[in-house]
Order: sequence, then structure tokens, then C-alpha cells
Amino acid sequence: MPDDSLQPDPDEDLVARARSGDTRAFDALILKYGEKLYGLVYNMTSHKEDTHDLLQDIFAKAYHSLPRFRGHSSFYTWIYQIAVNMTLNFLKKRKRRGGGLSLNEMDSAVQQDPALVDSSHLANPEKQSKLHELQKRLNEAMMGLSEAHRTVVTMFDIQGVPHAEIARILKVSEGTVRSRLHYAHIHLQSQLQDYWE
Amino acid sequence: MKPSIEEIGSLLALKRHERPEEGYFDDFLREFHQRRRAEEARNRGLKGWWKDASAWLGERLTSKWAYGAGLAYAAVMAAFLLSAPSGEQVGNLPATNVGHEIRSVEPIQVEQLQSLDLRPSSEGSTGEQEF
Repeated sequence: MPDDSLQPDPDEDLVARARSGDTRAFDALILKYGEKLYGLVYNMTSHKEDTHDLLQDIFAKAYHSLPRFRGHSSFYTWIYQIAVNMTLNFLKKRKRRGGGLSLNEMDSAVQQDPALVDSSHLANPEKQSKLHELQKRLNEAMMGLSEAHRTVVTMFDIQGVPHAEIARILKVSEGTVRSRLHYAHIHLQSQLQDYWE
Repeated sequence: MKPSIEEIGSLLALKRHERPEEGYFDDFLREFHQRRRAEEARNRGLKGWWKDASAWLGERLTSKWAYGAGLAYAAVMAAFLLSAPSGEQVGNLPATNVGHEIRSVEPIQVEQLQSLDLRPSSEGSTGEQEF
């Protein structure tokens, strides 16, 4: 994750070219950050189709807002802020439409997780099955967190974004980030205790 | 038994490997540009419609003064029609007193009537009718 205060934006050239209408430069930015943003949105929505549509909207919004991007932060921080805000708005709307997702709609994505399709685990189908179950419970426990708590868990524990950067993106203090993380971990601990051996 | 905070962290870290399938972003880029072009075409369509409408109005209104005068006339007429009370409203309006005075007149005496010349005459003055 680029540190805005220490180094110039590594995407400065691509951003400048994209702003002048070079769509290939914007494609390069999509390819560079798409996977990271996919992870963010997917872990917050737990739904593949929603993730895809939201990601399209996020990059479309970034593309149209590019002329207004002043470079006060790195491009990555800026697009991350767009992604977080749009995902939180989407989750609010989804909740208003009639609650969150049913467990059937929720994607566990465990089959695509290379860490879970480890050869040592494959040799032990029982262990593999337990791990799948645990991953499923973890997803459910994540969806049981409030959006604010799920956001910090996704950014810190899953994506490895430092506390200071999360605080900058969410426009809250570092203390708030740490406190939300602490509460979220306690919640996840209690939700998973029945499945932990 | 509860997992420790570190174990929760390790379990969550496994989710870093959740990625879209191979080739996902090739299709994603294709769709992104399709949507972008469709939106640009839609925006061009709206702008084109507005341009045509402006040109059409411009051709029909020879000067802005004619346009202004027409609008002013329409506004005055609309205000008049809207402010005039309807027939039903007029019937329900309260009656207002009309200022009037009854003056007493002295009766004419018979002597006075006799002194008047009531004969038909051919010597009528200008404007008098002859019988």
C-alpha cells in the first residue's frame, strides 16, 4: 500500500494519461488494482454478482471523476475511498430492500481458495471438510458484524492495510480503527468457538 | 474452546487467496468499455436532442422581443382569467348598498297647468315634434 506522506504517487503517469483520455492507461489502473478492490468488495458483500456489478460501478465512477482528482492522496487511496463508500452505500440499500443475504446466497468461495486446496489437506478429506466448514462459519460470522466493523476487518486482517491508512481512507482516528478491530475480533472469537478444536 | 486473536487473524488471512477466476479481468475490461461507450452514446443523444429543440425554437421565433412580448401577453391574460370570479361566485357575492337620495317635490297646482300651452303647434322650436 503506498504511503502518501513519504513517496510520490507511483501511478502519477498512468493517471495523467487516463485524464487526457487514454483508455489504455485506465485499463492498466484497473488491472493493477482490480484484484485488491475485488477482495475488498467481495469480503464486504459476500456475493459474487453484487461484487462484479459494484466493481464496474466503482471503476466507472473513478473514470468520470478523474478530472476532479487533484492528487492530494495517492490514486490507490482515492479509489479505495470510492470503493469503500460505494460498498457501504450498497449494503445500506440492500438492508433496506429486505435484509441481508440468506445463507444460500452467501458465497463461501472456499473451493477457489488455493490455501484450502493444499495437497496436505487433500490427503486428509476429513480435515479438509472441517476447514471448509470453518471457513463457511467465518463468512457467516463476518456478515454478522456491522458494516463499519466488517470494513476494518476486511482491510486490516484480510488485505493487510495498515491502521494509519485505514484511518485515512475511512476518515476516522487510528484509535477508532483499533477499537473497531478489537470489538470485531471478540465477536468473531465467540461466533467460532463451537467449531474450533 | 475459543480461538485466540492470532488464530482468528490467521483464519482471516486465508481469505486473501480468494480471487476471481482466471481471465475474469479480461471480460471485466470488455464489459467496462461497452458500458462506457453506451453511456457516452446516451449522453450524446440527450445533448443532440436539446440542440435540435433549441434550433427549432430559434427558427420559429424571429426575435427575442417577439418571444418576450408573446410571453408577457400570455401571462397578463392568464392572470386576468385566473383572477376573474366565476358566475357562481358572482351570485354568492354580498350585495352592496348604492348611495341614493329621495327628494320631495312640490305638487303642481291646476292654475300652473292651465297657464301652460299644451296645444299642438306648428311653431315648435327646433327639435320639437309636430302632431
